[in-house]
Amino acid sequence: MKNTGFHLTSAQPERRLVNVFIEAFIVGAVGFAIAMVANSLSPRGLSLTRNYFPPAPTQVASATNNAGVVASPPLLATNASHENKLAERLAARGLRLIEFAGVRQLYQDPRREQELIVFVDARNEQSYLEGHIPAAYHFDHYYPDKYLPEVFPACQQAEIVVVYCIGGDCEDSEFASAYLVDAGIPAARLNVFAGGFEAWKTNGMPVEIGPRDSGELQQRQQ
Amino acid sequence: MNPPLQTTRSARAQDLTTLLARAVVGGLYVYMGLSKALYPVDFLKLLRQYNLFESALWLNIIAASLPWFEVFCGLLLLFGVAVRGTALVSLATLVPFTIVVWKRALVLQAASQIPFCAVRFDCGCGTGEVNICFKLLENSVLMLLSAWLLLTPRFRACLWPEPLTKL
Repeated sequence: MKNTGFHLTSAQPERRLVNVFIEAFIVGAVGFAIAMVANSLSPRGLSLTRNYFPPAPTQVASATNNAGVVASPPLLATNASHENKLAERLAARGLRLIEFAGVRQLYQDPRREQELIVFVDARNEQSYLEGHIPAAYHFDHYYPDKYLPEVFPACQQAEIVVVYCIGGDCEDSEFASAYLVDAGIPAARLNVFAGGFEAWKTNGMPVEIGPRDSGELQQRQQ
Repeated sequence: MNPPLQTTRSARAQDLTTLLARAVVGGLYVYMGLSKALYPVDFLKLLRQYNLFESALWLNIIAASLPWFEVFCGLLLLFGVAVRGTALVSLATLVPFTIVVWKRALVLQAASQIPFCAVRFDCGCGTGEVNICFKLLENSVLMLLSAWLLLTPRFRACLWPEPLTKL
């Protein structure tokens, strides 16, 4: 049996206590350095300098320090108050909120076939592959380098872009739209579908599975 | 001077407890750390809900480093390297995190008007949506085990049983 000769209750407790603190400091420093390297090497790693949640201009104005301020997430808002607040935030960004009826109309519009009306799915890859609005482009704004080369030209040539995420408290459609605006897509083209994919599905609309234009439609549940 | 080595039943029980504490705390850290490290965006979103950081830079640094840091600490405990220092780090991180999770649960309870132990939410701990009372109990057990590892007189089955200060 190995005795480490290091326990705190034996002789010279102060010295041993200091040693434990030094060891903890070394663990913390080395662990942090390794964690930073692992994050930079990981294909899913986060960019440290990017603000993933840019606040709407009104939120920025109310904050004391504008640089790099993170927008606060909503907390258990009711549907009505949540949509009102979302509409206010979108308006502050120059974006529009669109309801399901409007989205359905755009989906059935013949201009969609010519890609003058484009749908953009702002959820993560797994959710997108499990089902999305048919022919919707995938744009996970947390990894813009991966998706922007395909989605940006489509949005550039479109007259109307509908961006959606899961719905409810999901804010990814808002932040994805804000990213597209920053990238150069005119805000007037962008419409955020508040009900999101949940509203799309619950209204019995067609759902495409797998990659874009796979043509594989999900069977409607009876 | 170190206490004499004992091979009594109580000493063996103590060694077994220490080994078990390392396995449980280390194993949980590796599991919870990896589940966050593989989906850092999900962790970032959950961390943001606590409204702890006004600065995006700090939010990103914590979200990027914490999962891998947990994996690192978990591996140190499992392999038996710098166990006492890692146990202190574990305690030093568990205490504030538990307080933050508890305060968040109080806010959710006040907003939804339900009993405290009925509050369920994804605390960003790496195990998905959990019952708050279960989470607080789990964290208390982890803190107790970490305290045990900090104070226990000896370790066995360690890759590097000496303190790092002896390097």
